[in-house]
Amino acid sequence: MTQDAPSDLRYVRYDSARENEYVAAMRQLISKDLSEPYSIYVYRYFLYQWGDLCFLAMDDKDEMVGVVVSKLEPHRGGPLRGYIAMLAVREEYRGRGIATKLVRMAIDAMIERNADEVCVQRVKSSSQFSFAHCVVCRVQIVLETEITNTAAMKLYERLGFLRSKRLHRYYLNGNSAYRLVLYLREGVGSIRTSFDPYGLPPAPLPTLDQIFHPPATAQGNGS
Amino acid sequence: MLPNNEVRVPPRRALVQEKAVPRDITAEFTEAASKLRTGQLVKDETFTLFEAVGALEIMDSKMDSGYIAPGENHAQALEDDYDVRRDLTPEQVVGLMDQLLCHEMAWHMGHPLSQTLFTSIYIDKLLWPVPRTIEDARFDRVPSEYPLVGLVLRTYCLALVKACDFVHARVASEYFYEEEDFVTQLYNRNLLSTFDSSHFYRLLDQAVDWVDVQEGIEQKLRDAIRSRLLLRREFLAAVDQDLEILDTRSTDSFVSCLTYLKTLTETAALGNAVPEAFSLKLQRKLASTVPPRPIVHIKQEDALAHMKRLCQDAIDMQQMLDYRGPSNFKTAVWTLLSRKPQPSVYIRSLLQALIVSDMTILGAVSVRQFLYDDLAELVLPSSILLRANTDEVELPSDPRFRVAQIMEGFVKRFAQPYVDTVRSACLNRCRVRRTICHTVVDWDNLQMEAEELDLQLQSLSAEPALQFQGGEATFSYPLSSWAYHQKLIQLRLILQMGFELSVYAPEELPGIYWYLSHICSTHLSHLDRIRTFTVAARKRDLVSSTHGETSAHKSPAYHRSFLYLERLTTHIIAIDAFAIALHALYVLLARHQVLPSAAGPDAYSSDKLCYELRMKPFIPISLPELVPFEEYQREATLEGDTDATILDRASKAITEARKAWEATLANGAFVEDISSPMKEPSIAIEEDWRRDIKDTMRACIGASIAIETVKKALLGDSPRSESDPLKLQVFIPEIGSKTQWHDWWIVPQISEKKAAKAATS
Repeated sequence: MTQDAPSDLRYVRYDSARENEYVAAMRQLISKDLSEPYSIYVYRYFLYQWGDLCFLAMDDKDEMVGVVVSKLEPHRGGPLRGYIAMLAVREEYRGRGIATKLVRMAIDAMIERNADEVCVQRVKSSSQFSFAHCVVCRVQIVLETEITNTAAMKLYERLGFLRSKRLHRYYLNGNSAYRLVLYLREGVGSIRTSFDPYGLPPAPLPTLDQIFHPPATAQGNGS
Repeated sequence: MLPNNEVRVPPRRALVQEKAVPRDITAEFTEAASKLRTGQLVKDETFTLFEAVGALEIMDSKMDSGYIAPGENHAQALEDDYDVRRDLTPEQVVGLMDQLLCHEMAWHMGHPLSQTLFTSIYIDKLLWPVPRTIEDARFDRVPSEYPLVGLVLRTYCLALVKACDFVHARVASEYFYEEEDFVTQLYNRNLLSTFDSSHFYRLLDQAVDWVDVQEGIEQKLRDAIRSRLLLRREFLAAVDQDLEILDTRSTDSFVSCLTYLKTLTETAALGNAVPEAFSLKLQRKLASTVPPRPIVHIKQEDALAHMKRLCQDAIDMQQMLDYRGPSNFKTAVWTLLSRKPQPSVYIRSLLQALIVSDMTILGAVSVRQFLYDDLAELVLPSSILLRANTDEVELPSDPRFRVAQIMEGFVKRFAQPYVDTVRSACLNRCRVRRTICHTVVDWDNLQMEAEELDLQLQSLSAEPALQFQGGEATFSYPLSSWAYHQKLIQLRLILQMGFELSVYAPEELPGIYWYLSHICSTHLSHLDRIRTFTVAARKRDLVSSTHGETSAHKSPAYHRSFLYLERLTTHIIAIDAFAIALHALYVLLARHQVLPSAAGPDAYSSDKLCYELRMKPFIPISLPELVPFEEYQREATLEGDTDATILDRASKAITEARKAWEATLANGAFVEDISSPMKEPSIAIEEDWRRDIKDTMRACIGASIAIETVKKALLGDSPRSESDPLKLQVFIPEIGSKTQWHDWWIVPQISEKKAAKAATS
């Protein structure tokens, strides 16, 4: 795969003044790869706060052919963590290093802003009811029909991302995923976060007693 | 561990209860709004990504399940005109039964009901409106005039739903991950949980009796329908009261299921599909905000295979219900749960309930006894600490009273985390590793707490100090030694399961195998230390006991402990030697730039950053301390060693590994009970264990061959200068592929490059 993008492409940073035009094109590009589209709020959530970490690839007719959407914020009061949230390249333009270039631009922008680490966090389709404990989302490993995702894995790994953990049946279709992480500076691993980094849902740890003697007896209102 | 039944959703925002006094804010609103440009976004502080992702756009057909397209007929969009009372051919009934079984299994596999069983119009009609009596639970108010539908298919559906009810209850009461393992959502439907099982058995009997006398139906179809009904009967019986296996030890129902599943497989081709009896439109009626999602179709052979595995796992589980000591128990649990594919969530939940409930292991041994047995096996084969009892010694001034008190505190503190180390194996494999990464930190603290208790116990039991390895005099520290042992196992598992879950990049392999051997050698010296103190205690016992009786009484305990330590040592030596061999092999491949690399030349990462990221779970651990990067790099790259030295190291280690794995295999999966001279019969779980070791031995042979290939390339006949690249092609097989013999041992496939045209022998 070539690292240099063809010269007929232009790479630009997202500009909120052109929101209407850009967001519409972006949604079209990204929705193509998703079984369930993201609501407009997802795009606004990222672009409103981190529009400067969003980069676009435009062809010679000024049409959008690639996009990366990301964010950067302290992770649970700990390291400054960047996320690559969405990445898409129009099908006929794939294999030309456009995605790599876009991700590099995003990471470079994060480095400029003193990021400690970067994670790949593909926004996972969700519902109000069921996904509450876990909005952190990741790159998919296997999609029987979409080879693009193995391609995505390779792309990130070439840039130095490591698979930090595997996530069982992470996506709606039952596919597993990997959490991909890249450290950008030393000492990130020992920065304490305000909460356990291994993603157990926040809940008090009950004792065996509590588990095996349900509240009925504890509350003394048994039969 | 977490409670099982907790639904992990954010708490609902409390409704504002205070009486609101209405006030006209039009002017203020207009004023505020006038300050905004048209289209300008305002973000609320509390608006999170979760809310953004959870938002649905009304009138978008992909998100809004109630959406009706312009021109679409309302009635047609919402209702199906499928007649549930219609006559069906026997072939269609078979087809429907099999399709329903596919949906049931898809639900077992983790897909939601809304995309599986609840897309069946028959099931929908049974459950909605909610039936008050079992007679109410039918497809239509006016029953179908065709018994094949009104009796046979209906009974099949009812028994299926009731089985789902039991499975749902079992999973929901244990520890699982919503959506990863299972979707508990019932969409405000009830799975006939209020009806007693007897109704279902009665109906099944009636249906079978009816089928038996239907001369008008071809024999093979009659048999096909009959076996499907009987499968339902047996499966229902199997999941109904599934904990009773602890008392009955009976797996008859699951065994019968296997028999009928065989018939099902043979007669699968007889069925005719009735696709119009399933509809996505039913999703609109379910209480859910989830966008419309497609019906999940799994292959019938996959569904049958899933159910077959479930039954087989349940049958084999019975073999581990007799408690034969902690190490045997743990080996059995781990081996069963390491089966590939992993046992289903129902099995894993059932196993959790059997492992421990009401503070009892396998319904027979108290958690306290289980903990004591493990202590006895590893560190305290015969000790006052395990015999002190406050019930017997009531005098507070007696040191035994204090000992008993301290041990009581120990049990209170350690019982749960210890049982959890066994229970957590019931999680899905990804979660097993993640949970260990999390709990190993707790065990680091537990070890320190145990050390405190050891110090107190030392003086109370007047333990004499011992000179260990020529160093200063020291004490046995039994409780913390035991805790350290648990922690070392966990650290090793984090590394080994990383291979299984294929999280490592090829370029990480030399370092990870080095670290694995580092943990193993730490563990081996720890076991040495334990053994030294046990030997000393044994000697003291022999000397002090004037009554030979006491000594003889203690003898079996010592014997078992020494045997256990010996087995552990052999096993860890085997792991260590294999890790050393692979480490050396990978170092050579990396050194000569033939090891594939996931990271490109322009990667943002560095070796140091990668090490930090990979070893993150080890960073907070105080003992053994994380090896500093500089030292790790020197050791892991075998800096300063020549190729010949490393080759020699690899060859020696792999020979040693093969011997040690042979010995491990010969030791067997389980510690034989010396008190019962009868050898336990070989059981399925033991077979799994043997296969696992044999696969490891195959991997050893593969590694030997790889080492030989590298040796030939490096030291071959043709002289090669240092700068010459090695003419080797290295391929790292995927986990689960045929060329990867064992999930924990990544053996590279190495071949000579064709261009080399090496002389063939």
